[in-house]
Amino acid sequence: MKESLRQSMAWLHTWSGLLVGWVLFMVFSCGTASYFRDEITLWMKPELHQSSHAVVEQGVAAAQIQNLLQQRAPASPRWFITMPTGREPAVRASWAPPPSGEEGQPRGRRRFENASIDPLTGQELSAARATRGGDFFYRMHFDMHYMPVLWARWIVGICAMFMLVAIISGIVTHKRIFKDFFTFRPGKGQRSWLDAHNATAVLALPYHLMITYTGLVTLMFMYLPQGLGAVYKDSDAFFADLNGGPRVEAKASGLSAPLTPLAPLVAKGSQLWDGASVGRIMVSHAGDSAATVTLTQQDGHGVSNNLPSLTFDGVTGGLLTEADKSGAAVETRGVMYGLHIGRFASPLLRGLFFLSGLAGCAMVATGVLLWAVKERPKHVKANANGRIGFGLRLVDGLNLGGIAGLLIAMSVYFWANRLLPPGLGGRPDLEIHCFFTAWGIAAVAALAFPQRWMWRIQLAVAGVLFALLLPLNPLTGGAGLFTSVAQGLWPVAGFDLVSLLIGCGLLWASRGLGSAAKAPLKARLAKVAA
Amino acid sequence: MIPILMNRRLGVASRTLAAIGGGYAVTSLAVTALALTLPGREVDRVVAATLSGLAIFPCIVMWSFATRTALRAWFGVLAVALALGAVVWLGGGL
Amino acid sequence: MSGASNAAAMVAALSSAAAGFTALSLAMDRHWEALHGCGNVPRDGQRRLLRWAGSGGLLISLLVCLVVWGAAQGWVAWAGVLTASAFALVLTLCYAAHAIVRIGWAAAFVSVVALAAVLSLLR
Repeated sequence: MKESLRQSMAWLHTWSGLLVGWVLFMVFSCGTASYFRDEITLWMKPELHQSSHAVVEQGVAAAQIQNLLQQRAPASPRWFITMPTGREPAVRASWAPPPSGEEGQPRGRRRFENASIDPLTGQELSAARATRGGDFFYRMHFDMHYMPVLWARWIVGICAMFMLVAIISGIVTHKRIFKDFFTFRPGKGQRSWLDAHNATAVLALPYHLMITYTGLVTLMFMYLPQGLGAVYKDSDAFFADLNGGPRVEAKASGLSAPLTPLAPLVAKGSQLWDGASVGRIMVSHAGDSAATVTLTQQDGHGVSNNLPSLTFDGVTGGLLTEADKSGAAVETRGVMYGLHIGRFASPLLRGLFFLSGLAGCAMVATGVLLWAVKERPKHVKANANGRIGFGLRLVDGLNLGGIAGLLIAMSVYFWANRLLPPGLGGRPDLEIHCFFTAWGIAAVAALAFPQRWMWRIQLAVAGVLFALLLPLNPLTGGAGLFTSVAQGLWPVAGFDLVSLLIGCGLLWASRGLGSAAKAPLKARLAKVAA
Repeated sequence: MIPILMNRRLGVASRTLAAIGGGYAVTSLAVTALALTLPGREVDRVVAATLSGLAIFPCIVMWSFATRTALRAWFGVLAVALALGAVVWLGGGL
Repeated sequence: MSGASNAAAMVAALSSAAAGFTALSLAMDRHWEALHGCGNVPRDGQRRLLRWAGSGGLLISLLVCLVVWGAAQGWVAWAGVLTASAFALVLTLCYAAHAIVRIGWAAAFVSVVALAAVLSLLR
């Protein structure tokens, strides 16, 4: 097989991309949506649209949540508190159940409980409908659904490695990467698809390389555990070292002592960090004399996921330890993890990430579609009656179901959120079942009729469903566009507008497929058949 | 015609096995070797080694498909595996 | 970091990158021809000037990102800015090629204004 490097890399690029393209489209779509998971969750809880969003001083919020926790969970060995941010105005807390045997809790049922409160009034926000919200998309893009998370993470990891190979081989094989940098020629069939694939890939290339590699980094100790195993006997010790925590957990002493007020500690921590806000608070053994309070800085300042932390004595409020300075490798991993999660990003920067993520979705979609477009003439030539082979037909069906079908499913998820009764038991899972049912129906239809008219139908359905989310919002109890803009409720307004844009875009694409160059194609077929 | 097609398919299958199976083996050996031999604190060595592994794997895959014959791919993969195996054994890992 | 200075910085970074990319694209035969007709190519001096101006625009964009958002976030922001402005340029070259020069100058003008705003807000 005497092939040049470019040719062999072209072959590798095609197959490493095509075989996993549909999984990758899902990963990219759900991952891109996850940049706004908090905002999506807020949109999906219309009951919360009216609550106050004034900025509350951190000390006040800390005092309120301490109040609630001392009432609700005095015997809990660990409290986790998340401080309010611009994206999530409530104070959230979760707590570990007390050691088994107490309060009649049967052994083995160790479930964390949680609560959200309004930081100003201390009132519990439990009235909103139950939903997984944006977190569904976040989890979906690496844990998938309906399967053990271990399987899902391996599948996604393998696909991500295929993707990394596809990106690098794609760079090697792209002959005119600079000459073609700004080139896009629509309406030219295969040439246009290639231009679109090149543009969406090259113009966001740093992002694609980054997101794929850092995605693998987030689960790298699962994919390549050999380094860990060679150096550490106990993986718990490794993770303790990695996350900067103590190797041995402090035990409760059994002597009770009142927990020091959290508000002054929050102020002290902020002061030690030159004004940076506190992001998370962890209280161990509240009410015990061995209690500790660990503050972690709020993200948004650097890029790294390893955020500075301070540990205080839980009774006296004195500073115990500051987390050790990380070594270069651990810091590098922290930066990479942080880049992937992207929580540090301000709204404008997050918008740019979102744009690049959309480019990634388009890159994958144009790639798999390009393959089908390239394959078709070969089949037309080979089979006199113009019938296409099984492989191509399968790819056609998977393209349709995987791309248009997924878009329909996402819109149905949002419709289900608003149409299912708020008080219904098991709502969160039902919304997700609706997502997969819609995807299943679309996929079956796609595989049965992988033709242009089915594309038009499915794109139009997705377009209509997305576009109509904007009026659906106020009709089902949410803050409509005028209200949300007037109140400065940007997450909800943004969701409505982006849905409208996506819907219009899909409808435009559906229309575009109708008036496409059918005549020249027929002429070409006639020429070939003659 | 058919023998050529079979030949090509066998070649592709062979390279794929070398790339994925052999590649993962080589990558794990490389990660182990690096974790054992790099300087620095334990946690930093493990992290640096694992980060490198993620970058090494795609290179092996690409190389397996870039070489002139499938046999060369196997030679290369096995040779590197043996070398790394020796490093790991000497470093006390096995 | 106030909202106004953040927004001004983003506008400055995006517009200077857009102006830079416009110049760089016109330094290429293909896009110069789209504007001036088939067979026309920029003279050597023109090409060099366009390349220098283009690179300068991109560099200004990078500096704005680094100064406003710091070393770590600055590079990340710049990558995103390059992506967004390059996409905008590709679409312009595709659907409004005749207006590319005017758009390029407009982007340059906007970037100067935005830079002034950023400098005054940062002071």
